[in-house]
Amino acid sequence: MKKREILANGLWHNNAVFAQLLGMCPLLGVTTSAANGFWMGAITLLVLLSSNTLVSLVRHQVPHQVRIPVYITIIATFVTIFGMAMDAWMHDTFLVLGLFIPLIVVNCSILGRAEAFASKNSLGASLIDALGMGLGFTFALVVLGGVREFLGKGELFGFNLLGADYPGFIMFVLPPGAFIALGFILAVVNSIKQRRALASRSIAGETMPQPVTA
Amino acid sequence: MNRQQWQMVAVLVVVVASAALLLSLANVGTHDAITAAREATLHRMLVQVMPDHDNNPVQQPIRIKGNDEPIYVARQHDRVTGFAWVVRAPDGYSGNIDILLGLTPNGAIHAIRIVRHQETPGLGDGIVRNHNWVDSFIGRTLDNAHWAVRKDGGDFDQFTGATISPRAVVNAVHRGLTWFHQHHKELIKLVNKHFSTPLSKKKE
Repeated sequence: MKKREILANGLWHNNAVFAQLLGMCPLLGVTTSAANGFWMGAITLLVLLSSNTLVSLVRHQVPHQVRIPVYITIIATFVTIFGMAMDAWMHDTFLVLGLFIPLIVVNCSILGRAEAFASKNSLGASLIDALGMGLGFTFALVVLGGVREFLGKGELFGFNLLGADYPGFIMFVLPPGAFIALGFILAVVNSIKQRRALASRSIAGETMPQPVTA
Repeated sequence: MNRQQWQMVAVLVVVVASAALLLSLANVGTHDAITAAREATLHRMLVQVMPDHDNNPVQQPIRIKGNDEPIYVARQHDRVTGFAWVVRAPDGYSGNIDILLGLTPNGAIHAIRIVRHQETPGLGDGIVRNHNWVDSFIGRTLDNAHWAVRKDGGDFDQFTGATISPRAVVNAVHRGLTWFHQHHKELIKLVNKHFSTPLSKKKE
């Protein structure tokens, strides 16, 4: 695969959230605001970069049978270290996200990248894959957090956009709002993908499939 | 065991040992910064609920039997200007609510702040967001207020759609004041003993 393809794969075509629906726990848990989503995404990106690097480096030394415990140990170590660093130097953000940081260990999109990509590819390709996947995940978190914060509180990144008399739509800040907002976002993403697929097919000279009518 | 199995064991041992080493290094590297960050956060909170002071209340808390929470003492020119400690409301809508209660030496509330809670965003978390409500505690004493929410015939507002969180906070603050009233003499005695020697001499 070319580098651009790997990157586009993580950012869009095979996006951890929009295409694979992985990492739902941090996704639904922390995205009460765009800023929360951003920081969760940033930490996940760091963990992905580190774990993909190390897994790719040791890929020839690790016996096939014990690869999963090795990968999980590597991931858990990095998550704990980044959690400690955040507690020490970004304490205010840690107070908000702290609860969800250890859960990054069981974010299956990270183990998924170690297993499906980094263990079979060179260091360079694994780094690009981590970058694409991590940024794609961050993008999804910020979009969902932004939608929920905007609808729920009339704000975006803490800035008030709808005026002080916006009554607020509490449901979108609460857990059910996460599922509902994600459902609509997935519908939009799927419709964009479908339109693109149709467009590329019509360019190729095929006839547009007619919409099914009852 | 054959050679292949030995190799697996060796790889696992090396990986786990390196992980342990890395984690201890990270722990050593961040320990002081984490302690400092926690103290700074606590101090920032304390400053908001305590009267003017020129000491660092975080560093010399007082501990009293029967109260697990350290009591922070504000002092200025070697005189006590206030007390603060955390009271816990175990009966919040979802879990405990920790309230930092700041008092003047004679037992009037200087200010309160919610330190930790998991109340419903948009409803119960008014105990944090509604500044008028938080400030309605200022100047209250054990005797000059009726310690209940209005719905229960008291002096403190509840919120539309949320009575449990404010009720829990009001009750917890009331318990804190009652405790202070009962242990006032003991506390003064401890404070005098605690600060009788200048700080610099104490450490030597």
